[in-house]
Amino acid sequence: MSYSCTSSQETPSAANPAKDAHGTESSTSDGNPTQRADMKVKKGCSSTEVGVPVTTEEDLLSSTVITPEDVLGLQKITENYLCSPDENVFNIDFTRFRIRDMETGTVLFEITKPPSTDKAGERRDIDPNAGRFVRYQFTPAFLRLRQVGATVEFTVGDMPIENFRMIERHYFRERLLKSFDFEFGFCMPSSKNTCEHIYEFPPLSEDIIREMVLHPYETQSDSFYFVDNKLVMHNKADYSYNGGT
Amino acid sequence: METDISGVSRARVSVLPSAEITTTLRPETERPRCASTPCSPIRGTVTGYQILHMDSNYLVGFTTGEELLKTAHKWSDGTAEKGSGTEAVSSSTQSTISKSVDLGIHRSSRILKAKSRSYQPYDVPSANGRRRRRMPSCCDTIHRSFAPSEPGRALHASLPLCLLKGKRAQSKSLDYLNLDKISIKQSSDTEVLQYQLQHLNLRGERVFTRKKT
Repeated sequence: MSYSCTSSQETPSAANPAKDAHGTESSTSDGNPTQRADMKVKKGCSSTEVGVPVTTEEDLLSSTVITPEDVLGLQKITENYLCSPDENVFNIDFTRFRIRDMETGTVLFEITKPPSTDKAGERRDIDPNAGRFVRYQFTPAFLRLRQVGATVEFTVGDMPIENFRMIERHYFRERLLKSFDFEFGFCMPSSKNTCEHIYEFPPLSEDIIREMVLHPYETQSDSFYFVDNKLVMHNKADYSYNGGT
Repeated sequence: METDISGVSRARVSVLPSAEITTTLRPETERPRCASTPCSPIRGTVTGYQILHMDSNYLVGFTTGEELLKTAHKWSDGTAEKGSGTEAVSSSTQSTISKSVDLGIHRSSRILKAKSRSYQPYDVPSANGRRRRRMPSCCDTIHRSFAPSEPGRALHASLPLCLLKGKRAQSKSLDYLNLDKISIKQSSDTEVLQYQLQHLNLRGERVFTRKKT
């Protein structure tokens, strides 16, 4: 499941959980059915600030290791994935995702991934990138929301995860709308973790709303996941806001 | 660490979208609906996932890269079979389907406004003194080998570049087999084919290997 955290003060893309400096978060971590551990969460922040060295996709593709600082310098959506699915050596697997309007409590969307029943070799002919991309078709009303909470549930493999971090960058066409940075911290091995992020949408100009509605799927996002400052997962998503018309 | 405060689910107003929009959703069961109660939330399945809830006031479609590729493959096969003599039929079908979609959306909009006061549709600027209800369809999205006349294409209007690149990468990997140079005699040799297939798989695994500096 393609998730990435967004803590938007400008971007109304709530397809991915995130938090910002004004949001609150809560999380649980279950090493086993009776074991719970708190998870430290770092407040997200925007990375559109000056001083971040500009990087290009071509530069990063030639790098052996991609760090958070590398992706923070990207100026546009990547054309390629910056890592392969096999690099998720920690077996991080998102199993549930939910977003809700915080003002009314209305659940907008909830999805879960049942346990895989695929037999070995059945999915060999499917593009390995296909599972790392999702597409959302929002209505214009979504752009009017002010506060959205996003809950994500994920499992990890049998290795402990130090410093799990997520950076998500949203673009409309080739313009960076917002970059969000979120740290999950430590994840126990073989655990299931749940985290909710509450973030606020800023008022958008009518011009921006109009353009985003009139140009479906030109709002896109890259979600980068890091463990110990090394890129292990890269998911993508795009969005429309015209309600399917 | 703050504990999770689960949101309280409130009565929601959901309108089942028209079939043209939710081609990727397969409803699990058909629920009886009553005019006095809110419509059932949208439920369905997408390849590998189960959609538990989708409030159509805000979200009308969700799909994955796998679904997009499958649909693209299906449409490209269908387009190749139809040939060029069906354009007139396609255009009339498109107008009929578009009309039905418009009616569906128009009807949905009325229901939404009647039942939800918090709904704030995008305020379309009036044209010629008349306020339009719906958004104009996108006309500058890049289309990839799809016949635009078929219904349910909104969600699959275009493949993202990352998936297209993946398709091209997989296609290029077949060149390694030199299939066009395989003689009839060689093609019947299963051992040769197995050897080549093994190399194909290995090549596919190396697609994402970055260059080592």
